[in-house]
Amino acid sequence: MRPSFFHHLHPPTIPATQARWRYTLGAGGTAIFLVLILGVTGILELFYYNPTPAQAALSVQTITYLVPFGGFIRNVHYWAAQFLLIVSAIHLLRVVFTAAYSSPRRFNYLLGVCLFVLVILLDFTGYVLRWDVDICYPLLTGTNLLKTVPVVGNFLYRIAVGGGEACSTGLLRFYIWHIFGLTITAIILTVWHAFRVRRDGGIAVPPPQLRKDITRISRNELVRREVLAMFLVGIALIILSMLIPAPIAAAMTEKSILGEARAPWFFLWIQQMLKWGNPFLFGVLIPFGMLVLVALLPYMFPRPAAGDIGQWFPKSNRLAQIVIGVIAVIVLVLTLLTFIS
Amino acid sequence: MKKTLTLASGSLLLALVFSWWWTSRQPSPVELIPTLTGQPEYCLTCHADVPDISPSHPNNTFGCVSCHGGERLALNADLAHSTMRGGANPSDLSVAGISCGGSNCHSGSEADDRNHIQRVMTSVQSTYAGAIANIRFSFGAQPDLIPRFGTNAVTDEQTQTGITSLSAFKPLSESNPFIQKFGENCLTCHVNAVRGDGKANERQTGCAACHATAKHTLSTAIPYTQCNACHNRGNYDLRTMTFIERTDHPTNRLQDYYQPIAQFTKCEYTLDCVDCHTRDEAMGDGDLHANQKDIQYIQCKTCHGTPTELPLTKTIADPNDIVFRLAMLNPVLELKMGDTVLVTEKGEPLWNTRVVSDGTYEMIGKVTRQQFAFRPVMGSHCTQSGKDQSSAYCHECHSVER
Amino acid sequence: MSELSRRDFLKLARNGFLYLSGALALGGLLRFLDFDPNPAPITEFDLGPASNYPLNSRTVLSEPPAVLLHTDKGFSALSLVCTHLGCTVKSDAQGFACPCHGSHFDANGNVLHGPAIKHLQTLRVELTDEDNLKLFTA
Repeated sequence: MRPSFFHHLHPPTIPATQARWRYTLGAGGTAIFLVLILGVTGILELFYYNPTPAQAALSVQTITYLVPFGGFIRNVHYWAAQFLLIVSAIHLLRVVFTAAYSSPRRFNYLLGVCLFVLVILLDFTGYVLRWDVDICYPLLTGTNLLKTVPVVGNFLYRIAVGGGEACSTGLLRFYIWHIFGLTITAIILTVWHAFRVRRDGGIAVPPPQLRKDITRISRNELVRREVLAMFLVGIALIILSMLIPAPIAAAMTEKSILGEARAPWFFLWIQQMLKWGNPFLFGVLIPFGMLVLVALLPYMFPRPAAGDIGQWFPKSNRLAQIVIGVIAVIVLVLTLLTFIS
Repeated sequence: MKKTLTLASGSLLLALVFSWWWTSRQPSPVELIPTLTGQPEYCLTCHADVPDISPSHPNNTFGCVSCHGGERLALNADLAHSTMRGGANPSDLSVAGISCGGSNCHSGSEADDRNHIQRVMTSVQSTYAGAIANIRFSFGAQPDLIPRFGTNAVTDEQTQTGITSLSAFKPLSESNPFIQKFGENCLTCHVNAVRGDGKANERQTGCAACHATAKHTLSTAIPYTQCNACHNRGNYDLRTMTFIERTDHPTNRLQDYYQPIAQFTKCEYTLDCVDCHTRDEAMGDGDLHANQKDIQYIQCKTCHGTPTELPLTKTIADPNDIVFRLAMLNPVLELKMGDTVLVTEKGEPLWNTRVVSDGTYEMIGKVTRQQFAFRPVMGSHCTQSGKDQSSAYCHECHSVER
Repeated sequence: MSELSRRDFLKLARNGFLYLSGALALGGLLRFLDFDPNPAPITEFDLGPASNYPLNSRTVLSEPPAVLLHTDKGFSALSLVCTHLGCTVKSDAQGFACPCHGSHFDANGNVLHGPAIKHLQTLRVELTDEDNLKLFTA
């Protein structure tokens, strides 16, 4: 077939090693697909969502129970968001475990880390938009963490929440951050991130002289593989959205009895740490420190050997693999601890 | 690859069709827009067969949420029921103010006679103030019979009795073990309490304790069986401070009354309790009282008079008289302007009675609609002294052998 | 003085102007976002007549989250906002416990164990001339 617009978005040919599932896991591509799904389902929800404190939760209930397929769209939006967070984490781990972050891709790695942070913030702001009894404590404590930052704490709080009391007046600003502020930044960074992949020579693989397999695949074949991946992820999303509904709780009013004091799943590890003491230390410094460590991995350690790029767990960046592995295990263990205590 | 893509696209179509079918399995929402609130509710999607709870509270006017609370748009049972007030009983006194209250409903001004909730909350049936004060006084926890505690903390700013507030009775804070036992064993009969387990103990709390005569039904035609749920459940033993529950449901009203030494006249085991006992007696008069005897005042002479006095009556002259509203709620007889009904010493109208033209009286049973004709004591052979007119004296001659 | 060609100087100046403009725009953006349009939160609450709170009573209020005490020393109030990260503490056997991160306080608001380190704030209560109680959170 004649190459279409989508075909032309790709290079005419790429090395076959770049396109292997067992190398990349398709994680980066899946993430972009999920972003598209989130955009479409999010815009559909915008038709019915009412961003005022009195009506927000009721509009979510209207979408979930009364709008035809509204519940389905909402579930797809929710599961795509949680998938995106997991897939982004897998992508990050893959990039480090296959030494794909080394020069000239170090700046793109930083873009990716920024995108990861944006995905987490988008997940949190989206969660808050439910405006039901279960979101108040996570919103309150999460935004109060901003206030603990010395010197600029209140300034950061005002930027993030718009001042006032988070559970009374914070909805509108979180809404704008979610549908516009964070989204437009994420779109710009996503496009830049994808462009940099092209500019840096495509998905990281050893240079041709060190490559074991020098075959190439056409852009048509590449697009076919991407479409197959989209079908499979789409089917999984549809089935999951059908069977497991997105969380929902009673609307939050001034007189509400607030729900469980439990962070959303991706922040449970921070809630566990906060039980140990000073909120600035355990809620801001340590997580931020972990983030900075992850961001600086390509700069901290010696450059991996050219022949190791694109191989899983090569020897030449073993230290970086251990650091990120330990960080991932720490986050996992902290999360699991919240289920025990 | 082409085969794989075809297979995958086929699976995608299948998944979409399946999810369309799955979504359409949900019950289609049934909307109700109550005229009182104007806000759509979807409770009827699952609860379509719930009848109007009473002619004065039709579903189409009130809807469900204005009384019960709950999430009106939710079609998932757990979410929809999560903010319901009082579980299945929104008239439980802890939430009655929100469910049954409001200035247009049952907690407004005394002048409009719309202060039922405030009256019930301060009534002796709810506070148990007398019982608690008596036990505490008997066992030395307080120096007199002035009530200080009720089953719940309650205040009465415009008190006529001098009692402005009661604190919540906390048996575990009492030092005397008998008072603690009283708290554990004897407080299950006030309007706030939840009864024990078992079918024999089934009853509601709050307004429903008296007015819910059947499932999702509110009525003022309250049969004696409703009162039996507390008032004929057994007997107490002060020496061991226990309550011995009866295990049967009494059916013979004369033989099965629990107090072996009690005496009854025929009307007391024929009429329903509500035929004589007034609204102030059962629901309180809005003031905190120290004892049941301060609020319970109906005697035989209220209806029958004394050898020297006829019973008090009132001729209905005001079209807005409350007797019309009371009779409308339970139309056992048709009252007209100019009819004369009996009234109590406090002025409460006994609206199911009427003075007949020949000077006798008639009463229609509020629940049974039985007609009773009776004569005043004056002019009869009764030789009881005018000074001793409490019901105990009437019982001496008129009580029935058991 | 090192040699700087006109071309390089102009390029430096142009880049400098652009970076300065960018910084100005960023600063302006941050100031734009740093505004609170909401009315100031209420700090004075009317609790109604003092006779509603008899001697030796402990009344848990929901707005603001606080417990009002009436002792023979008069009226006082203890804020039920946890000093760790702001959740509302609940009563328990020893006093109060916070459901968010496990801080425990005794009945007077002192910290029994963390992660909170500050005791619960005491709030000012005043009796008006008409025997009404007013609670101040600031």
